[in-house]
Amino acid sequence: MARLISDLVPVYVVGIGFHPYQYASDTSYVALGLRAIREALADARIDWEAVESSYVANALLGMAVGRPMLRHLGALGSPIIHIENASASGSAAFRHACIEVASGISDVALAVGVDKPPKSGIFRSPTGIPNLAEDAIAPFTHFALLTDEYSRKHRIAPEDIALVAVKNHANGAKNPNAQRQKERTLEEVLGGKAISGNLTALQCTPVGEGAAAVIVVSEAGIKRLGLDPGRAVRVASSAAGSQKADNDLNPDTALTIETMARAIGEAQLGPGDLDVIELHDAFTIEELFYAEATGICPPGRFVPMLKEGAWNIGGQCAISPSGGLIAMGHPIGPTGIGQIGEIVRQLRGEAGARQQPAAKAGLAHMVGVGAVCYVHVLTR
Amino acid sequence: MDDQAAALFAAQGTGALPDHPALNGGRCKACGYIFFPMQHYGCERCGSEELEPWLIGGRGRLVASAEVHVSMNPRRPAPYVVGSIATDDGAVVRSILEVPADADLAPGTVMTSRLVEETRPDKGPFDLRFAPETGRP
Ligand SMILES: [Zn+2]
Repeated sequence: MARLISDLVPVYVVGIGFHPYQYASDTSYVALGLRAIREALADARIDWEAVESSYVANALLGMAVGRPMLRHLGALGSPIIHIENASASGSAAFRHACIEVASGISDVALAVGVDKPPKSGIFRSPTGIPNLAEDAIAPFTHFALLTDEYSRKHRIAPEDIALVAVKNHANGAKNPNAQRQKERTLEEVLGGKAISGNLTALQCTPVGEGAAAVIVVSEAGIKRLGLDPGRAVRVASSAAGSQKADNDLNPDTALTIETMARAIGEAQLGPGDLDVIELHDAFTIEELFYAEATGICPPGRFVPMLKEGAWNIGGQCAISPSGGLIAMGHPIGPTGIGQIGEIVRQLRGEAGARQQPAAKAGLAHMVGVGAVCYVHVLTR
Repeated sequence: MDDQAAALFAAQGTGALPDHPALNGGRCKACGYIFFPMQHYGCERCGSEELEPWLIGGRGRLVASAEVHVSMNPRRPAPYVVGSIATDDGAVVRSILEVPADADLAPGTVMTSRLVEETRPDKGPFDLRFAPETGRP
């Protein structure tokens, strides 16, 4: 019988750190990553010497970028592994750092995501299988097609779907680590550059650069290092999966529904227990699909409840309080780890102007091209 | 000429739908899974390597459409309209649509395939696209 992460040694997040997400700059990835790691070590109040293993997530930097960055913390000879899983690279690195600690192999592990946009497009090796119009359907057009389908099926005006961007830009405006820190009116969102279908530029994630890091520790590690258990946040569950064979136009949602159910069930919670959710809102329509996939509202009800304020900070459940991928940004490798950082901040009660009152349970969700999916639930 | 792209569709239709170019799909002999385009690597559903070519008729119903305003590919200059089509034979394909840019296409609209002049340099003389089937409800 396969075991769940909750069957093993309990794992806690004790440190979080960021390099703010930003538009592409001349700053090296080494500087981005080191800032996030040093902030996470300081937040955890541990020294680099205590970290027994490092998981380095990136999708765009190329081969073996970990040690040229980590050596500047002191090259002590501990294991380094690189994880590439498209948009879910950071989530995958976090899961495997947790698994290492949960297994008892290490007491302290680092998961760090760092990325910079490539200068000349993203390379994906050809499969040898052609397609009819793949070169005409970028991700934003895939999601424009799904926006058209959803809005007609559920009779939700596309202009109302854009309200997701208004909410997430408002949250990002309160987040010093966000790439977009400006409140936007619905008129500004709708009046911006038209991209595809009903999607405008402010409804699409800006892929930039940045870094995020978390330190995960076992209970034994917390005791041995003398850490404050009051600031430790439990990793209650971890679930992952990949797309099944089907002729499905929305494979990310089918996969998300299944993975969400496993993660929420493993955490022994119901969807109504979630106080904070960070999800893969690269495009506004995605927040509808993936939030509904948790079961917090019936299909087609997300937008009416959004208009009532249910998903605002202070509402029934704060969704994308960091600003999400739309406002905080999506530098790829860091994104999934940054979500964990936001949820830890929220569950500690340290989120300041973005604080969801009395947050006790949070969920982080990412999908990656492929498709792959990761869901983690954290609890206080 | 890119042989792979040319292999995506046949100039002629299927027996049931002779007037519209067919898509060169595949079928798994082991589990019956229908897929597009044809490939020989293995069945996505069951892993069998017993795959056979299977013509998919160029007719279906529109699932969704979108006018693309920004092109990421100089070979596909915007604006253009794309659509998702559930074919009568059970495959789901996405194609550029031959419609006016501002066409309001309702889901369920019957769509059929046709060949148009290919504008990309190395893809042969024709490209396959879908358009609303005229003269039908
Ligand atoms: Zn099969």
